[in-house]
Amino acid sequence: MIADKKELANALFEIGKFYFFNERYDEALRVLKKSADLNKKEPETYYQMGLVYEAKNESMPAKEMYLKALELNPRLSVAQEHLDRLVGK
Amino acid sequence: MRQFAVIGLGKFGLAVAKTLTEKGCQILVIDSDEERVREAGEFAASAIQMDATDEEALRKVGFESIDVAIVSVGENLESSILITLLLKEIGVKEVISKALTAHHAKVLQKIGADRIVFPEREMGIKVAEHLISPDILELIRLSPDYDLLEFTVPRGMNGKTLKDLALRTKYKVNIVAIKKRVPYVNDAGESEFREEINPTPNGDDELSAGDVIVMTGETKMIAEFRKEVQK
Repeated sequence: MIADKKELANALFEIGKFYFFNERYDEALRVLKKSADLNKKEPETYYQMGLVYEAKNESMPAKEMYLKALELNPRLSVAQEHLDRLVGK
Repeated sequence: MRQFAVIGLGKFGLAVAKTLTEKGCQILVIDSDEERVREAGEFAASAIQMDATDEEALRKVGFESIDVAIVSVGENLESSILITLLLKEIGVKEVISKALTAHHAKVLQKIGADRIVFPEREMGIKVAEHLISPDILELIRLSPDYDLLEFTVPRGMNGKTLKDLALRTKYKVNIVAIKKRVPYVNDAGESEFREEINPTPNGDDELSAGDVIVMTGETKMIAEFRKEVQK
């Protein structure tokens, strides 16, 4: 059952990326949130959500997502780079 | 290319010096602090440790080839005023001085500073403006009546073309550029986006919520337009 949840989370993550690449940001967020609900430990999902928010120019939730991604994986350098840019480092 | 000198290597002076160097300018930097001079010496064409209020020493530096001198020793009012005065006496064509207060600026103006900057005040205004209107990313006052504004496209304009919006007819404003964030996969296989700028937008260009548009126009017409889109 746990494996199923993870697989479903992964599938939703891929769908979220597909929407992101097609600039359908609201749909991307909808499925990425579902993916994060199913697997709260995946930093890439939060990074991806950060990207979507940033693409929508919503910097507050974008920062929250990058911080969450870094909390789960402090070595996720892409998330750190985006966060630095948003806070103006 | 114009030659620059930066006197005073605090945070502001250092940032000016670094940016000028990055833009390919040859610069001369001066500060009394050894450590700061060493730091700036890593990129500046010439870095001198000296007391710039010492008239004799300052004359020896040779400012003949300097077109613009930036006096960024704002924290010490006396030094800032004296250095500005000396540079004008020496004959530097343009002296830009950093001021901390209105009184300081008044004195600098009287002794001949060609331009006075208030970096902290200017940044304070920008931060406050951004807090009041987070969708405004940049506001440049082109004249007392005309602005250049960079702001985020609101949801209400999503999917509309510039022709649909007819901003030029309604508000007499011009959209001079559109910035979009375009998703892609980077070399490491990670999702990313890059900013793409359309510098010559036309009526058929479609806007998406989150795009950034750069517009110019009369201040009051821009305010009217913003009131309308915020409804």
